[in-house]
Amino acid sequence: MAPREASHEPDSTPVPVERGYATLATLRIGVKVFVEKDGEKRKAEILSIQQRKGKPTFYVHYDEFNKRLDEWVSAERLDLSREVEWPAPEKPPKSKTTSAQSKSQPAQTSTSKSQKSSLKRQRSSKLDRDVSATPESVVSNVPSKAARPSKAGGKENREEIAIIATEVGDDSTPKPEDDEMDLVDVQDAAAAAKAAPPEIYSREDELEKLRTSGSMTQNQTEISRVRNLDRVQMGRHEIEPWYFSPYPIEFSDADMVYICEFCLCYFAEMKQFERHRRKCTLLHPPGNEIYRDEYVSFFEVDGRRQRTWCRNLCLLSKLFLDHKTLYFDVDPFLFYCMTTRDEHGCHLVGYFSKEKESAEGYNVACILTLPQYQRKGFGRLLIAFSYELSKRENKLGSPEKPLSDLGLLGYRAYWQETIVDLLMDGRTDANIEELGAATAMTTNDVLHTLQNLNMLRYSRNQHVIVLTDAVIEQRERQRQKEKAKGAHRIEPEKLSWKPPVFAASARTWNW
Amino acid sequence: MTQRTTGQRFRQRKLSTRQNLPVLREHEVEKISDDDAARHMPKVESGVDKGEEAEHHLQAVISASHAAAVGGKIAQLYIPTPETIQSTLEYERLYPRQFKQPSTYIRFSSTVEDCIGCPYCMTADDEVFLKSMNQKKPESQRCSEDQFEEVMYFFEETSAAKQPFAAVDNPPVVSYEEMESSFDETISDSCRRFALEIYEHWKNQRVLKGNRALMPALKFETNVETDDNDPYVCFRRREVRQTRKTRGRDAQVIEKLKKMRRDLEDARQILHVCKQREYLGRENLANNRKLFEQRILLRDARRENGIKEDDDLLVDQKPAPKPKTKPDQTNLQRQMSGTAKAQVARMDGRPPDSDLVSLEEVTEKKQEDIHKFMEDLASKHRNWNKDWRDETWRPLTPPPQEQAPRSSFRAATTYTLPTPPPSIASEGSGEPMDVDEPTPKILNKGSVTAQYASPPLEAPVESQRSYRRRIARGGRLVIDRRDMKRPFQEDADERVLDRYKYDRESSEDDEVYPYDPYDNAHIRFRVLSGSPDQSRSAQQQAQMRRGVAEASMANGALHPNHARMQGSPPQQSSQ
Repeated sequence: MAPREASHEPDSTPVPVERGYATLATLRIGVKVFVEKDGEKRKAEILSIQQRKGKPTFYVHYDEFNKRLDEWVSAERLDLSREVEWPAPEKPPKSKTTSAQSKSQPAQTSTSKSQKSSLKRQRSSKLDRDVSATPESVVSNVPSKAARPSKAGGKENREEIAIIATEVGDDSTPKPEDDEMDLVDVQDAAAAAKAAPPEIYSREDELEKLRTSGSMTQNQTEISRVRNLDRVQMGRHEIEPWYFSPYPIEFSDADMVYICEFCLCYFAEMKQFERHRRKCTLLHPPGNEIYRDEYVSFFEVDGRRQRTWCRNLCLLSKLFLDHKTLYFDVDPFLFYCMTTRDEHGCHLVGYFSKEKESAEGYNVACILTLPQYQRKGFGRLLIAFSYELSKRENKLGSPEKPLSDLGLLGYRAYWQETIVDLLMDGRTDANIEELGAATAMTTNDVLHTLQNLNMLRYSRNQHVIVLTDAVIEQRERQRQKEKAKGAHRIEPEKLSWKPPVFAASARTWNW
Repeated sequence: MTQRTTGQRFRQRKLSTRQNLPVLREHEVEKISDDDAARHMPKVESGVDKGEEAEHHLQAVISASHAAAVGGKIAQLYIPTPETIQSTLEYERLYPRQFKQPSTYIRFSSTVEDCIGCPYCMTADDEVFLKSMNQKKPESQRCSEDQFEEVMYFFEETSAAKQPFAAVDNPPVVSYEEMESSFDETISDSCRRFALEIYEHWKNQRVLKGNRALMPALKFETNVETDDNDPYVCFRRREVRQTRKTRGRDAQVIEKLKKMRRDLEDARQILHVCKQREYLGRENLANNRKLFEQRILLRDARRENGIKEDDDLLVDQKPAPKPKTKPDQTNLQRQMSGTAKAQVARMDGRPPDSDLVSLEEVTEKKQEDIHKFMEDLASKHRNWNKDWRDETWRPLTPPPQEQAPRSSFRAATTYTLPTPPPSIASEGSGEPMDVDEPTPKILNKGSVTAQYASPPLEAPVESQRSYRRRIARGGRLVIDRRDMKRPFQEDADERVLDRYKYDRESSEDDEVYPYDPYDNAHIRFRVLSGSPDQSRSAQQQAQMRRGVAEASMANGALHPNHARMQGSPPQQSSQ
């Protein structure tokens, strides 16, 4: 994963990675070590070290694996018989801030305490994080188990500054190649995708962008955090969270966090949760039902009117969405929540949020099927519903970027199915814009899909759309599966919804 | 062939999204190597974060699906995710079956706060304490869990209200006395009796937690610098959203501001001028007073010395401004009185600015032009018809009736008396002052024998009020009155019309076409024409005529505006 590599990447001049043998005692944060994972040894970076029951445990991130697979491992799983990679030597903080500022403020290099306030809006505020913020998030994880070497915490924090520095410095300096070389043998495709350097966002640009629109962060520091909740209990399920979510700090100590299925309130203690369930009267998402068929219902919830519920929902979904940011409040979003019904109530299965007014023309901000309901076709329904809304609005829509890996696959599957269905209706010619208009998909997404399926070709001096045998076969197989299992579709006539209209004043006054 | 394809590559047209592309099956297209095909196409980004696009599992699935798209058979892959397991919790107990689906779509607007009851939920520690507390009590006086929570919540809330910055400055836990003093309707009486006992427990809990809130809460912004990078601070307020700046919007805004600026400037100007006017008015008043006083002195001096000349020095020579009359009459009078009159029309009595073109002048010039044109036309006609005799019998449009001799009606000459009237009689007072000279009207002037294609638009205009005395049947003495007529509306200058546009009350609905039933011509026509309703119209006339003597209603009805405007009786009428 690029950001992690960046962290030990030298700032301006490529320095060869330092390798060597390590012992348990010398391991520290930032070291890359081989860890046993599902029967094979994978290189992993140590993100945090804790003492548990007198033994050190390590929070590791596997190279080339999504962060949701980051985990705590015991010392036995580390393979110290192989060389480890040591993190790049520390730089004096001054030079780092210089490079961080180099883009916007080349003249201002000193970051003395007195200047800090004036630099508040610049990147130097990252230092604050070093001083106060991160210790809270990481150190408070283990307030009682103080055995951890105190140096580690500080080390990690400094490490994160380094990340920022390289992120900014990156665009002027070429990416060192030697690092890439290690990866190529792992996966050819991976290397190919890597060729493009990561896009660089400054923190301020990012916040400004988030303030005005959107819900996804591109910022690496924002998302490279140690997961804070161990387990979550919700409804009939126990779920292992995937990512960090800013639930109250106290919860990071809890073995289990209980989340009420209906109001999404969260409790660290069983007794409290039981008491809450005794009192809670909510039986469905607190909004208007806008769609109902035999299988699911959709509720529309306004972030401004149902602030608590929507905040709870965002906290919950942050556990499973890496790039989602909760930096700003939920007011400018509408939440479309899909539920299944039984005598207990309407169980939240998934949702997508949507900006009340998207400057970029996104029809979905965040989209999530709760993990306990994944791989059951709900994601497809959510996506289909979001396009159904776009059709009602007479707009073309596309999900906000970046997509997650699962999101990309979900969308690709939906796009493929929709477009192939459309093309197989016997037509002899098709127009990309018309395809988009018929499906409420943006031209770009149509193009993306056709290309991805190798359906767009050049033949006899013109472009043609080819319904490849493979695509047709895939579709047929899918149809048979649907016939056997019974497929659920969104029926447009059951959608009782008009695009909500917001006054200009609402727009000005934060929705 | 290979060369050609290579050449083709460079000549290949750009893909147009608007153009219809043929949809073909695989066997209909010649095989091209994948490599070649891919090169032609514009690359579209996947939309996944660049750093994550390279991830092992995603790439595995993508390449699998790509292989499937190309035709390979590969088992479906999934991206591994952390596990989800069935909970061991008693779901049925926690979530009772109480949902009944309404037949219509659910509409719901209660918030979470409305639905969760008391927000404080007791912990296991609380439960232990509550049990021990209740043990000492008889059954009936025990504290329920709900009551306990209510009290705890009250303490929490009060504490938060009293020590909003508890997290920062670490004050001591709020004392029970303070709590008691802030008992209000949020805590019921049944709970208050447990308050003291529970307080001790609450205090202990608070102390354990370092006087922080007992219910874990989200971290919101505190406007401290460290907020920005604290990952736990979430749901910050957005500042007021800025409207997108476009050139069009900017121009719009500028236009609006400019217009507002202009309007405000105009308003300011008007106020300024008003103020000026009032100053001048005051000055004028002061001058008049001075003049008056001087005149008194002069008069006294003259009396003393027995001087009898120069009486006119004692009064204003120009009539003071007339009492306000209805606009169209003034208009009319102005028109009739001509330039000499118009010259003195200034309200403040000062000589009018001669260089300014007054409306009256313009009107007069226009009238003159029309007059001249008519004269020309008339003389031309006379020339044409010279030595010719008109033998037409009953032309389509009859020639204008010769005006009957107007001997029976006599004009009433109106004097407008100066105000104030001269205080003392003098030799000069006999002279008529400013008598409105009747202006000769176009149609009354000259004998035009020309025939018109259509009846003249203009009804004969009476310039003055006139009266006729006659002996009616039975020897009654009847005085007929004939009111002044207004000139036809079309004639009026549009500027004049505009000036009095809204001064009239008449609406468009009840338009009245004025004609004079007592015109001799009309009477003769009615008498002579053998119309079937002859007798009736005669009767009507008789009635009308009778009415005229007593009240001017008949005329009034025909000229509603006039009747109202000319309410004041003529001051002088000559036979």
